[in-house]
Amino acid sequence: MADEPTLPCLPPTSRLAASLSNAGRKRTRGLNPPTYNLSTSSDPAVFSSDDDPALDNYIHGRRKKRYVGTWYDQHPASSDSADSAMGDDMRPPPLKPRQQRQFKRRFDSGVWMAQTDVSTDADESMDLDPPVSRLPLPVSPSVSLRPRYSAEEANAQRIIQSCIDGGREEVDLSALQLCSIPNAILELVSLIAPIPTVAKDVAFEQRDPSIKLFLSNNSLRQFPSAIFNVDHLTVLSLRANRLTELPPAIASLKNLETLNIAQNKLRSLPGELLSLMKAGSKLTDIQLHPNPFYQPNVPNCSSSGADEYEQGTFGPKDDDGMCESWYGFTTSLLARTPVQFSNRSTVVSRFEFPTVSSLPTHLRKLELEELWSLEIPKAIGGQLGPHLDDVRESMPKGAPSLFELALRAAVGHPDRESAKCVLSEQCVSNHFAAAFDRAAHISDVGGQTCCVCGRDTIMPVTEWIEFRELQRTQVIVAGSGESLVENWYSVRVSNNGDEHCVPFVRRGCSWNCIPFKASEPSEPSKDLELSEL
Amino acid sequence: MATKSDGPSNSKYITMVSSDGFEFVVIREASLISPTIKAMLRNNFSEAKTGRCVFPDISGLVLEKVVEYLYYYHKNVNVPYVPDMEIPVELCLVLLEAADYFQLDSVTVGTAFRSMGDTLKF
Ligand SMILES: [Zn+2]
Repeated sequence: MADEPTLPCLPPTSRLAASLSNAGRKRTRGLNPPTYNLSTSSDPAVFSSDDDPALDNYIHGRRKKRYVGTWYDQHPASSDSADSAMGDDMRPPPLKPRQQRQFKRRFDSGVWMAQTDVSTDADESMDLDPPVSRLPLPVSPSVSLRPRYSAEEANAQRIIQSCIDGGREEVDLSALQLCSIPNAILELVSLIAPIPTVAKDVAFEQRDPSIKLFLSNNSLRQFPSAIFNVDHLTVLSLRANRLTELPPAIASLKNLETLNIAQNKLRSLPGELLSLMKAGSKLTDIQLHPNPFYQPNVPNCSSSGADEYEQGTFGPKDDDGMCESWYGFTTSLLARTPVQFSNRSTVVSRFEFPTVSSLPTHLRKLELEELWSLEIPKAIGGQLGPHLDDVRESMPKGAPSLFELALRAAVGHPDRESAKCVLSEQCVSNHFAAAFDRAAHISDVGGQTCCVCGRDTIMPVTEWIEFRELQRTQVIVAGSGESLVENWYSVRVSNNGDEHCVPFVRRGCSWNCIPFKASEPSEPSKDLELSEL
Repeated sequence: MATKSDGPSNSKYITMVSSDGFEFVVIREASLISPTIKAMLRNNFSEAKTGRCVFPDISGLVLEKVVEYLYYYHKNVNVPYVPDMEIPVELCLVLLEAADYFQLDSVTVGTAFRSMGDTLKF
């Protein structure tokens, strides 16, 4: 049916501008006031037989439709048939209200449902004609999208499809010259289900899949965020691509056993990755080098106060009590950089991370700050909270800022591009636009949480890097009950100069979410962490 | 409007007036979360004497949302895992500007409440 409401096409910019900056929140139904049928100006008579469905026929606008034709090809009888008895000339053209409705309502906003003045609208929708079989079959999205895929992408899709069909858990998309891979294609990977082995006398068992995804030797510039939706990913190789960052959401890949991100353009790793590199996690194999990682500008850094810094900043460690033996990666802190404070889009601190996209080696060296000192820009020093010296709870408290809330709503706008246009037109400074771009990027790659308070943020304003040393660690639990003994053995992964220090980025959501200042050591202290192991 | 005997400058409430004349009476303590309002109410500005802040660039619709936010923030200062306040999509861009104007961005908002101590002087 032509007037069947469909999801609206994206509104043109000008309309959107009006709706975004309008003075009236309520969506009116158009300029024309509702048309009344003068011949029925008084209320319809109320009879005791009110529940008689036939009564509907007396109320204008709510009459029943009649249909003609066979059951598979029926269509409404002429729209005039039901009420031709009423004054034809007094009646508005029957299609008019529907046309208004068609472009006044936004089916994707959901907001209209709460508005009182639309409720009549919603009522009328009950009278909409039911979909009729004459309607052409809806075009399925996959069909209409297919032509937009490049040859390489179509190739990838074919490979994934054959893995689904064959129940194969190894998806090899390596060396396909992919510059990007649409989420719609990559999401198919989560459909892969292994074919259970059926053997005699063995109970049928559906096991969880263990998906291995190889995307190595392509030209990916951005981490494909659809990967985060693949629950049972155990092997992920992105070796030899052009990634410049790894999104924080990588921490959600809890089943990951092997990760290969060598030969990319990574300058640092997200601090969130550390949650996969601690006792109890499944990651047992990781390939990080070579990558143009940031390096400390001094060869030997002291890490005294590391425990104090970590507990103070990120809260007390979760209980490390292991009940079973474990093998995997751990890290220990070597040093950290000063904190870069920014103000939505501009940096306000002296210390600033380089912004050039490709850095010569000598510029990749970052200065360090002792864990017992903390440089805070003078301009903002007075505004920081009083509790900076207390051990913080790692629990977000209090409400997010209005700016952040509004930015989140703007980034989530169904027509984000137009929203951005309006934003850059309205504001003289490109301040907002820059913040908007950054927020949009963060939300696209799966979000960011504040490393200190744990709150979701799309506008981190503090940032620093921890240099850490990777260790292969084995925990052997012996004995039982009271006499349970845990033995920890750690070996450095690499002693080789450049590969020794691995940079992990930490980001905070407010100027208060910054590193904890360890107490100044009175005597030169030895590396606590390592001597314990 | 609640004005105590000792004059509006010491009242528990202030009045925020929008461009189109809507007036919102807000608990002073909640309104001071915004550094902008705090500055208006400082010392010798006329706003400090009358307890009335007029915002000629902000419509009632937007100001209503800002006031809602002030209370939302005020109520949840020490509450863990606060659910997000609802922002109507069609207001998000004007609210971005308003947040900028009232300096309700995350850079300061986490810290503003701390200065509540000095606000009691008002
Ligand atoms: Zn935070």
